[in-house]
Amino acid sequence: MEIQWSLVLFTVLTGGAGWALGCVAVDEFTQKTKNDTNFIAAIVAIVLAAVGGIASVTHLSHPENMLAALSHPTSGIFTEALLVGLTAVFALVYVILLKRNAAASARKLFAVLAAVFGIVLAFASGASYMMDAQTAWNTPLLPLAYGGTTMPLGVAVYLAVALAKHEEGMGQYFMLLLVGGAVAAITGLFYGVATGVASQEPLLMWGLVVAVGGVVPAVCGWLGRKMPPSALALAGVAAGASFAGCVALRCAMWATSAVVNNFFGML
Amino acid sequence: MRNALVVDLDRCSGCFSCEVACKMENGIALGSYYNKVLTVGPFGEFPKLSQYFLPVACQQCENAPCVHVCPTGASYRDPDTNVVLVDKAKCIGCKYCMMACPYGVRSWNQEEKVVEKCTLCGHLTSNGELPACVHNCPGGARFYGDLDDPSSDVSKALAAAEPDAVHTLTDVGNAPATSYILSKRYAEWQDSSTLQGAGRYLQKKGE
Ligand code: SF4
Ligand code: SF4
Repeated sequence: MEIQWSLVLFTVLTGGAGWALGCVAVDEFTQKTKNDTNFIAAIVAIVLAAVGGIASVTHLSHPENMLAALSHPTSGIFTEALLVGLTAVFALVYVILLKRNAAASARKLFAVLAAVFGIVLAFASGASYMMDAQTAWNTPLLPLAYGGTTMPLGVAVYLAVALAKHEEGMGQYFMLLLVGGAVAAITGLFYGVATGVASQEPLLMWGLVVAVGGVVPAVCGWLGRKMPPSALALAGVAAGASFAGCVALRCAMWATSAVVNNFFGML
Repeated sequence: MRNALVVDLDRCSGCFSCEVACKMENGIALGSYYNKVLTVGPFGEFPKLSQYFLPVACQQCENAPCVHVCPTGASYRDPDTNVVLVDKAKCIGCKYCMMACPYGVRSWNQEEKVVEKCTLCGHLTSNGELPACVHNCPGGARFYGDLDDPSSDVSKALAAAEPDAVHTLTDVGNAPATSYILSKRYAEWQDSSTLQGAGRYLQKKGE
């Protein structure tokens, strides 16, 4: 099947937003940032989720019929739409609470809610493709890779915002980036090898998903752990590299789509 | 009630009448299908080669994946006839049903930008007529009716067939309700997952 770019963008951007909100929630508890970082990072995450959501709608020929989805609330698309909506609403409430200097407990609650729904979405958007008919997609390793590859993206975006706001002491987040890079490489690798997608699309899977989308952010995480002067640049490189890795994984998935029989040749 | 088709490949001569009648009856665009006649083979060792024709359409799966994935209920099972249908007015064009159908037997209507597929000619059968493909098959190779009714044409065709001559396309949990009759004396049935090829000609993988 040809690559569905709007769905590629949707799953990458919403996944990155989910993990960035995860960093915001972590920071609500560890209080590492001093400036406006969490406010800006939450806004960036909301924008990413919104752009991703709009991208997914461009894939539809008749979005005006979407309300009919309310009659079938168990489908993958309905679940994804619900998760995007809940993530954005919780993140928005968090931003408002932050601006109004609300109680820390309320802020923490909404930061955690936004993070949980956002991160669940990062995985759930891959689960929608688990179909018995699709031989290379029908494995739980696919949603794991969907969620895993977006982890360094979200962490790198958070780091980039924090460093642009001149935060110090972000070493732990760079260590989280190191972990995220490893998670991206491992989940991408497992999916690719177990399904044979890695041998069908070696350049995308080994070159872009594992090396660029996993190893590069991990190395950036390692180099940035002591907050060198180049920390912001490292976060930027990691964000770009993991974005490329996320896109590559999804392109490889579409390129290797194979149903039992494609009798009408429409796929 | 489980309305479905039975296709007797022992009698199918690959004449394309069902495909043409279907296109005429349902006004299907050039290059699109609700029903398509394929050729399987030749396979085997020369000079013992076999080949058969395989007309394919929606298999009316009992556990229809297209219905499960459809976000809007546009792909649904008719509660009265048990036939899997598409309500075009509800389709958002996400194509998930096309991805989920194991056999690639759904079509994309370029003009209306919605998915469509074989309806078992519900507009005819609701008036007591036969689907166009069944009515127009010169070989008498196609049967339509209720699998739960022993007196229906499909039940009688299946009862008359040798038990080892009754087949379905590869089942990946979707339980296709359409049966194909192919006797060993004509050709060895090939599991559809072992077939490959583009267009109308399918070969055994590796041959
Ligand atoms: S053959 Fe395809 S279109 Fe027909 S019921 Fe099965 S999954 Fe749906
Ligand atoms: S393309 Fe239409 S019929 Fe198919 S799953 Fe989407 S909404 Fe349902």
